[in-house]
Amino acid sequence: MDAGAFLSIEDISVGYGPTTVLDGLNLAIGKGEFVALLGSSGCGKTTLLRTIAGFARPAKGAIRVADRNVTHLPPDKRGMALVFQSYALWPHMTVTQNMAYGLKLQGRGRQEITSRIGELQGLLGLSGLGDRKPAQLSGGQRQRVALGRALAIDPEILLLDEPLSNLDARIRLTVRHEIRALQKRLGITAVHVTHDREEAMVMADRIVVMNRGRIEQQGTPEDVYNRPASPFVAAFMGAENLLDMEVSVGPQRINLAGQQVLAMPHHRDLRSGRAEIRFRSEAATLLRPGESPPAQAGGLELAGGLELTGTVANVSYPGGHFRHGVRIGEREILVDSPAPFNQDEHVRVYVPSSALFIFNTSTDGENDRQTEAISN
Amino acid sequence: MKQRLLAVLLVLPALAMIIVFFIVPLLASIIGAFEVEGAFGLGNFSKSFELYSSDMIFTALIVSASTLLIGVFSIAIGGYLTLGENPLAVAVLRWLYRWPMFIPFIVVGQILRTFLAKNGLMNNILVSAGLLTPLQTVGFLDWRGIVIAFVWKQTPFVTLLVSGAMASLDRGTIEAARNLGASRLRILVEIIVPQVAPTILVGLILSFVTMMSVLSVPLMINAQSPTMLTADIAFRINAHGDYGVANALGLISLVMTAGVAFLYLRQTVKERS
Repeated sequence: MDAGAFLSIEDISVGYGPTTVLDGLNLAIGKGEFVALLGSSGCGKTTLLRTIAGFARPAKGAIRVADRNVTHLPPDKRGMALVFQSYALWPHMTVTQNMAYGLKLQGRGRQEITSRIGELQGLLGLSGLGDRKPAQLSGGQRQRVALGRALAIDPEILLLDEPLSNLDARIRLTVRHEIRALQKRLGITAVHVTHDREEAMVMADRIVVMNRGRIEQQGTPEDVYNRPASPFVAAFMGAENLLDMEVSVGPQRINLAGQQVLAMPHHRDLRSGRAEIRFRSEAATLLRPGESPPAQAGGLELAGGLELTGTVANVSYPGGHFRHGVRIGEREILVDSPAPFNQDEHVRVYVPSSALFIFNTSTDGENDRQTEAISN
Repeated sequence: MKQRLLAVLLVLPALAMIIVFFIVPLLASIIGAFEVEGAFGLGNFSKSFELYSSDMIFTALIVSASTLLIGVFSIAIGGYLTLGENPLAVAVLRWLYRWPMFIPFIVVGQILRTFLAKNGLMNNILVSAGLLTPLQTVGFLDWRGIVIAFVWKQTPFVTLLVSGAMASLDRGTIEAARNLGASRLRILVEIIVPQVAPTILVGLILSFVTMMSVLSVPLMINAQSPTMLTADIAFRINAHGDYGVANALGLISLVMTAGVAFLYLRQTVKERS
């Protein structure tokens, strides 16, 4: 593990009964860093968070905070506070009682508690709500009380278990920024579990994409978005359009079913053979027969791209642009365009090289990783 | 209109059952309590208080004490089932605690009579273990025996309700407290019990009413004075054929249970507001 890590997870394996949820997972998180654990349900992200918090016991491995081994310490001795998905506020206590409970347990003086909670309530926009019970609060307010309860004990690490998933879509957008701003202001280290890609992108310094109890890829939001390391990450980061093609790899260029595209840095591990091509609907351009692809930075010649022909199967308007279902052979892909095309119109789809994510095909992601490991 | 008539017809059998088998006997008993040799008066009550006022206090104290102990034990057992960290101990306790529920009161009385008597099983064991000499042994066949029998019999029932309510709590509320450093005892007292308080109250009130109506236990364990009102009622009827005083005593125990029911109603109204 790198020496700069504040929170380090070393070779952690966790299982419930006979099923293994996490298998030899490593992760290092720096001080003050905001890390998002991103993955679909059942990928082990919540288990990882609960293991860090001390609510799930690892079968092997270690968790260290600032070089202190906390693996076998109880949850309250780790300098961490967890914000629950359900908020888990105590319904019989008022807002202030909820927030002050941690300090009360620490045996702080009444005066100190009052001033600290008052300050926090101001910070979180809960002033004047101190005497209410959780049932009398809106979803967003409850969420802030849960956050305040965790922050009151001044933890070194804040753990967030899908804290926004119970909020209305509109409130969620503002709360994202509020939490991020608060985290920066307090300089606290945060680990955030979510299944929402955009939420992870907006909030986190680093995204850790998890799949089947393993880390698929980690990096900055730009990194993970623009250079997905596996088909799973590409699909999870929105490159849902999928095509199967024969690929032959040259030193500078890649031949895709007879067409040349530029070999991009993220295609480095590619071998010749069957491949799956992924791209985002907004990265492709829809052209009428005879129309030429749009000019790009660096010139078309240099960039190159993939051109496909098909027919428009359906058109919808999700807002801002028109979304077209385009039938290409047996597959249907989605392509966005500022102007609508007609149903059944013959069109060409152009995808620039930089927007193509090409991966060698295998029946199983696990096998793929293993063969890669062997060939390396 | 036709449908309405049909609805009334459908309800009628149930209504008739309630009137014939519940309301009429209850009213007859209440009226009977005020009937003294063909005329209405309070004679039965003055006689009841004269003869049995110590039994009324005895009954109220015993049932209240038992209720309190049942509450403590059921919270303790439910708490351990919810917070216990030794899976084996939790499983064993979960399997064990329910058994007394399936044993009738009369059998409980019988078991405890042979167990708690001066020459009973408990003292025999203590004597043979050398902890007591035969001269030091004390029988528990008095108010203590009744309390032991009630608590032993009713705790599982209340525990069943309470542990069910505890199990359906959001685990997060417990984990959040643990996360902040609360001990298990504090979690039980400050986080769990307040959240399941309505269920505890319902369980205890139902137990209180059940215990008020048990005849077999006081007869088996405490065949002396003072005793419980149920024994007195049976005695008035069986030995004297004195239905008037029996009805008056019945009405007095009804007033006691009504007091508890009133507390319960007030609580539910407070919660809904």
